Order: sequence, then structure tokens, then C-alpha cells
Amino acid sequence: MKVSLFVTCLVDQLWTSIGMSSVQVLRRVGCEVEFDQRQTCCAQPAFNTGYLNEARQVAKRFISIFEESDAEAIVSPSGSCTAMVRHYRELFADDPQWLQRAQSVAAKTHELSAFLIHVLKVKDVGACWQGRLTWHDACHGLRDLNVRSEPRTLIRSVRGAEFVELEHADACCGFGGTFSVKYPEISVAILDQKIEAIERAGVEAVVSGDASCLMQIGGRLSRKKSKVRVMHLAELLASRATDFQG
Amino acid sequence: MSTLKRNSKAREAILGSIRSHLAASVPHDTRELALHQVDVSTVSDSDRVEFGHKAPAGTSLIDRFKRNLEAVGGHCFIAPDEAGTARALTGIISDLQKTNFRAQRIAISDLPVVEKLMYLTDLEIEELTVTPNASDIFGFDVGITTAQAAIAETGTLVLDSAHERHRLVSLVPPVHIAIVDASRIYNTLAEALALLRTGKEISPTVTFVTGPSRTADIELTLTIGVHGPQEVYVIVRGA
Amino acid sequence: MNHFSSETFRENAKAALADSHLRGALKHATSLFGERRREAAAGLPNWEDLRNQARAIKDEVLLHLDQYLEEFVRNAESRGAQVHWARDGAEANAIICALARERQARIIVKSKSMTTEETHLNSTLEAVGMQVVETDLGEYIIQLAEETPSHIIAPAIHKTRGQIAELFTSELGMPPTDDLVQLTNTARTTLRDRFAAADVGISGVNFGVAETGTIVIVENEGNIRLTTSLPRMHVAVMGIEKLVPRFADLDVFLKLLPRSGTGQRLTAYQSFITGTKREATDEGPEELHIVLLDNGRSRMLAHPVTRQSLACIRCGACLNACPVYQQIGGHAYGSVYQGPIGAVITPQLIGIEKTSQLPYASSLCGACREVCPVKIDIPRLLLHLRGEITARSRRSIRERLLFKVWAKVMMSPSLYRMSAVAGRIIQRIVPISRAWTSGRDLRPIESRSFRDQFVQKGDDPKRRDGRGVPPLQNTP
Repeated sequence: MKVSLFVTCLVDQLWTSIGMSSVQVLRRVGCEVEFDQRQTCCAQPAFNTGYLNEARQVAKRFISIFEESDAEAIVSPSGSCTAMVRHYRELFADDPQWLQRAQSVAAKTHELSAFLIHVLKVKDVGACWQGRLTWHDACHGLRDLNVRSEPRTLIRSVRGAEFVELEHADACCGFGGTFSVKYPEISVAILDQKIEAIERAGVEAVVSGDASCLMQIGGRLSRKKSKVRVMHLAELLASRATDFQG
Repeated sequence: MSTLKRNSKAREAILGSIRSHLAASVPHDTRELALHQVDVSTVSDSDRVEFGHKAPAGTSLIDRFKRNLEAVGGHCFIAPDEAGTARALTGIISDLQKTNFRAQRIAISDLPVVEKLMYLTDLEIEELTVTPNASDIFGFDVGITTAQAAIAETGTLVLDSAHERHRLVSLVPPVHIAIVDASRIYNTLAEALALLRTGKEISPTVTFVTGPSRTADIELTLTIGVHGPQEVYVIVRGA
Repeated sequence: MNHFSSETFRENAKAALADSHLRGALKHATSLFGERRREAAAGLPNWEDLRNQARAIKDEVLLHLDQYLEEFVRNAESRGAQVHWARDGAEANAIICALARERQARIIVKSKSMTTEETHLNSTLEAVGMQVVETDLGEYIIQLAEETPSHIIAPAIHKTRGQIAELFTSELGMPPTDDLVQLTNTARTTLRDRFAAADVGISGVNFGVAETGTIVIVENEGNIRLTTSLPRMHVAVMGIEKLVPRFADLDVFLKLLPRSGTGQRLTAYQSFITGTKREATDEGPEELHIVLLDNGRSRMLAHPVTRQSLACIRCGACLNACPVYQQIGGHAYGSVYQGPIGAVITPQLIGIEKTSQLPYASSLCGACREVCPVKIDIPRLLLHLRGEITARSRRSIRERLLFKVWAKVMMSPSLYRMSAVAGRIIQRIVPISRAWTSGRDLRPIESRSFRDQFVQKGDDPKRRDGRGVPPLQNTP
């Protein structure tokens, strides 16, 4: 199957190994991966802050680029960005033509774990990673896309990994986009509750499906000089060696 | 006079505001429909209530009522007949007399059956008054009433003020004893609501009572008996 | 004193975060409420159906609110109730004041009513010399403390048992004790005097039934029954959105409200009041006055996204589920309605000028939407309000410029590339956003972006870069 990778601006600039790992995993399970160099952002920052005109411009661009692709699916290693594409229709309520185009693109866009499980019907991507880890449910992936069992199924087939369910795995990490810098004290207060749960879980790594959550959680763990690492699901699934270099 | 005028002005203003804002919403509603497959569901007919005393298979309504009442801290006694009810009442009150609840000044509702039951108990008490008024009711230890119906799924008593003068007697004294006919126990809340709606108009005041009064306002710790009764006893009669 | 304003939300929040007592109380309360709600909902296998039904009923009422209100009033009046219409809080207060004066009321007992807090009724009555006594234990406590509620259904959860005990000792002369039973008894005894002496009882309304003109009020303590049974006049204040069409509809809401609010199957008491007593000798008040309050509610009908705010049944579940509320509590919102529902209702009731911070004080996690018994899409509402705020130029020039630049960059691959290059340089010389780095380490922009690596690895790129690529069809 041919897929078009929607890598997201965050991964593109700040966490390229998530992108590389996603490509590796998709290829390993037999996909041909295309990457359209013209892509930039899904418009989430503008949409969430209320700048709807700006969001609409950037959304139209996204739609125009991806609707040209002959790939059968658009796959992204981000629940929130995938959810954003699903929300595009709210930007085009007044424009039936763009609404239609937005719906078509949205219908083909999938978050990585949901794509593996539901479209490719793959549970085991041949990964191995030694150690104790846990999973943080990123809010948009969980509540907008209903992604909950898929990452857990994929993680459970990683050889050598001991999976521990995190207390309140579905509690927000406090990122919330611009919220994290508009209300940093509240953001960190919420984050610390997540950190405490992670520490109590006694794991070596916390895995999630969204780079934004990983930045938030990882940023606090490293500030606290914690030994716990953060890892994206794609990075976990791409690992073959016992010693993963994130 | 001017109050009435002012109020009809306010009425027209509010209704007018509602109408104009609803009208303004129409184009947005249309767009919203285009965005989603809006489920314009209405209350499903499958919830239409059937009258009757059906209980889940294997459990009697009385058992279910008793279990649910006890789960919220109420006490339930079952009596086959009037004599049995009187005996239960005697037991309850004489036990209470040994406690701080005293149970010496008893207030009863105006239904003759309650007064009759009290005579059958032949208890030693200081005072028995039928529906004390608002200024006197605060001095009583126990209030005894009947209940017009009960709800099994929640352990609830249905007190209908049109049938019995029990509003204050069931509320003010720290102990409330209620007698309810086994045949008046309904399975669900929906059935009880339907019962209240049948026939003529709804009574001016209907109260659902589920166990004793409670609060968790202090540190979320449960305390029983705030403004309403601290103890609720229900005698199911004619089972 | 803790009368905060929503204009100082950020400062309020900071103060709350620094209050370790408060944070402990909030953690305890919200997790307990949350657990109980979860269990109670799990106990009903058709929970999702009930939510859908409840929302459908509310949508039906709101879409025809004028008709249902007229039906309600007609039926209530035919049973002896006197109905008053109040366009805003001041009008409601004036009506109630006049009624109390007619009665020459000196003592007024009140049961918990958010609507009367919204209109600041108490201070209006007190200003004309009446004594107003809150009878709900939590409300009574904060009234004594001269504070405002910090949670919709548990107004005093920010106070510890010790603080309450001290309060009772100093205000009521209670001998010092920490014992809960003693505390409750003190309140009970003190308040019983007030009930006995009260001339007027004021309550809120949980549901008004259009079909019968009935008002329904739910409680656990018994103070509502006392407030509405003993005094000779009962005044019930009801927001115009509180209607349900039919008596039978109450079943759905009586299943959802207690479970969502406190995790109970049913609260201890539900009072169904329809008009006034039939005989003068019957028990109960001589007069029933229902005050219908608009105060900005009718405006919310103008858009489907905002109209859903009016479906709220004031259960408080969203507060307990909200990661922001869990950290800062209710006072920080500086308004009567707090937490997620407060963040969307308050700007609509009061206007966005004074409340523009509130819709941004959310990570948009969606936990509120998940627990709302009537399925209000609060995140969508927050975004809608954010859109209003930017459209009305309520954001800083700097931010507006920032997003204009952002859009330009995101529209052009070459600008995007350049901004990444610039970013890599800037991050080395300028300390980035203190707002982030005060608590968290910041991940640096990588020296080579993904798209450069992808190309360089010699994989077969479909389109290499922005240059030399045919223009997009249907360019925006």
C-alpha cells in the first residue's frame, strides 16, 4: 500500500527521529512511503487560539497538497494533528466546495497506531526493546479519535518490553498548545501530577503518540534530572536493538 | 398595578428576545446540519412506562426495596398485617426509647390508620399529637406517617401531600417512621412519576424520600442527619 | 474575603497554586467525586442512551423555549403560582425585594441557588435590612466566613474541618471541637431557629415542567424541604433554560443528575411543587412566587454551539474532571459559575470584555465533554469563544502579528525553511520563552529537519522542495 506521510511541523523541526522511525515502521510492514516536501503545518496553533482566517488559509493549503496524492492513506505520527484534519470541516461550514474537499482528505487521514491496527490489520511490527515502560494517552488521540487500545496492543507485542499501565493514563499532561506558555504555572502543576504517576510506576520510559505531550513530559523529567526517558510510539516500534538511542 | 405592567413588559421583552435569537440561529443550524449527521432523536418510545409491579426475575419488589433502602442507611421491617405492623412499631419505638432519641413525644399524620396503630402499640409515651403546627413541631422526637407509594429500584418513599397531612411530621422530628402497603411498591422511578400523572391534576406537593438526611459538605465526609430526619424506618405492611 | 474577579484570572490562579491547603482539598474532593461518578455511571448499562436522550430533550426545549415557557407559566398560574419575569439580575432582585417587603419580612431563609448568587440577591436584601440565612450547610459555612463558593455542588470544599470548627466557635460560640457530628449538630440547631422564625423561603429550581407547571428541587440535607414548607411565602428563582417538556422527562434527568454530581443513585429528597395548597388549612406556604430569570440566557440561543450551554443541569461533573480546575479550584475563575462550564457561560452572561482570559484557561483535553450528562461540547464552545475574542480584537497586537507571520511562513515552503534556519540561530543566542523554560527544559530545533534527512537518505522523494514544482491546482 502506498501512504503519504504527514510528518507534522513539530516532528519535522524538533523531533526528526519520530519521522524517521515512522517511515521505517511503515516500510517494514510493506508500505511504500511518499513524502510531499511542500507540506508545512496542519494549522492547529491558529485554530486553537481563535485565529480562524489564518487557520483556514493554512488548512486549504494542506488540503490542496494532500488531495493531489495518489496514496491510499495519509498517515501521521500525531493524534492531535490527525484530529485537526478531522476538524477542518468546521472551518468550511460556509463553503460547500471546500467542505467536501476537507471531508475527503480527512477520510483518508489516519493516526499511525490506528492505521497499523485497523487499516493494515497489523499488531506486531517485529520490534524489540528491553525494559519497563508505560503509556500516556494523548488527549486528542484519545478523545477525538478514540485511540486507546491500539497503542497498547502494539506495545504488548514489542519483544522484551514490560508494559505497565499508568495511573490515570488518560489524564492530560497540561500541554494544550499555547496554554502551556499562556498559563505556564497551571500547565506545570497539571504536568507534575502526571510526573508523579510516572515516578510511582517505576518505569524506564514513558511512551506516547504525540510529540507535543512528549516535549511537555520530557521537558519536566529532564529538568528534574529524572532517569525516565520519553519515547514516541514510532520510535519504540522502530527499535530492533536492545539499546535504543533516542 | 405598575408591577403588573412592568412584568408584562418584561415578559414580552424576554419572549421577544428568545424568538429573535432563535430566528438568528436558523442559518447556523442549517450549516451545523451540513457538518454532521445530526441525530434529531426524541425520547424513545421503548421507555414508555408500563404500570405494574414487575420486578427483575427472582427478586421480589419488597426485597429490592428493602435492599436499596438499607443501602442508604434506612431500616426496613416487613409485617403481614395490622397486628404485625403494630408489633413492628412497638419494637422500633421501644428500642428508640432506650437511646438519645427518647421517642417520648410522638407526632403523627392525620390518617386515622396511624392513630389506630399507635393505640394498638399500647406504648408508654409522654405525648401523642396529630399534625402539630409549625411552631410546635420542633419539639417532637418521632414523626409517624404513611407513604402513598414506594419505589423499589431506589428504596424511595413517595409522600403525596394531597392524601395525607405529613409534610412537617415526616421532616422535622429526628426520626421518621413510615408505613407503606406492599401493594403500593413500584419497581421504577418512571412508574412512580407516571402514577403521579394519572387522573386529575398533580398534587400541590409530592416528596420523594430516600433514606435519612445527609451531607458531605465538610471535607466530603458523609454525615447523616442534617436538617431532615437522622433515622428513617419503613414498615412494609401486608406482605 | 475572597471575592476575585475574572479579569485577574492569571493572578488568581497563581495564588491558588501557592495555597497548599486548597490544593490538598481539591485533590481529595475532585478525585473522590470523579470516582463516585464513574462508579455510578457504570452502574447503569444504558448510560450513553440516557445522555443522548437528555440532550435531545434539552435541544427540543431550547429550540422552542418561548412556547415551553408560556406553557409552563400557564400551568403554574392555573395552580395558584404567581410568575414574575426578570430580564436581568437587578430586576429579579427588585421583584424579590418587593415581595419580601410586602410580607414585612425580617428573616429570610435560603436554600442553595446558583441563580441567586448570579444576581447577588443576598446583598440586595440585606441592604434593606432583612436578615438572609443560607441553610445549605456548605453555603451556611461560607456565608459565615464571608466567602464565595468554590465548587458548584460542594461550596465549602476549600475549607478544612479545622477551619470550619474555628469559624463555628468564633461566630456561633460553639465549644471548640473537631468532631463532625458536633459541627453538623451546631449548624442544625442554629438553623432550626431560623427556619422556625422565617417569613420568606427562597429556593432555586432544578427543573421546571412545562406540561404541569411543576418545579422540581433536589437535595440531600432537608433544608430545601424546610425552606419551602415552613415560611408563608416561597420564592423560587428559575433560569429560563431550566425547563423540560413533560413530567415523564424527569426520569432521565433524575437518573443523570445525582449520579453525575455526587455519585448517588438518588439524592435524599426530591420536592415536586405544583402551585399552592388547595385548602388554607393545608400545610405549606400560602404563596408561591416563581421568578423567571433571563440575564443573558436568551442571547445564547442565537447559535447552535452556544445554545448547548443552556442544556447544563449544574451537576458539577465537568469541574471534577477538569485538570485546570483540579489545580486551581473555583475562586480563581472570579465568577459564580466555575470550571469548564463557568469558562463558557461567564463570558456569555457577562460579556467577553471582562472575561477574555477564561476561554483560554484550558488545555482543550476534552475530559469535561466526556463526563457531561447532557453532552455539552465544551472544547468546541471554548474554541468558538476564542474565535469571537480574536474577531473582536481582544488579543494583543503582538499576538495578532505573530499569527499573521505564522500563516505566511506556513503558506510558503521556502519561508518555512528560512524560519527554521533562523530559529536554529536564534535559539542559540536568545533565551527562549521563559514561560516554557521556567519549569521545563526546551528541546532544541534540530540541525537538520526531517525533510532534509529524508531527501538526503536517497529515498525516492515525490517532490523535492518548493522550487521547481508545478503550482498547486486550486491554489487558495
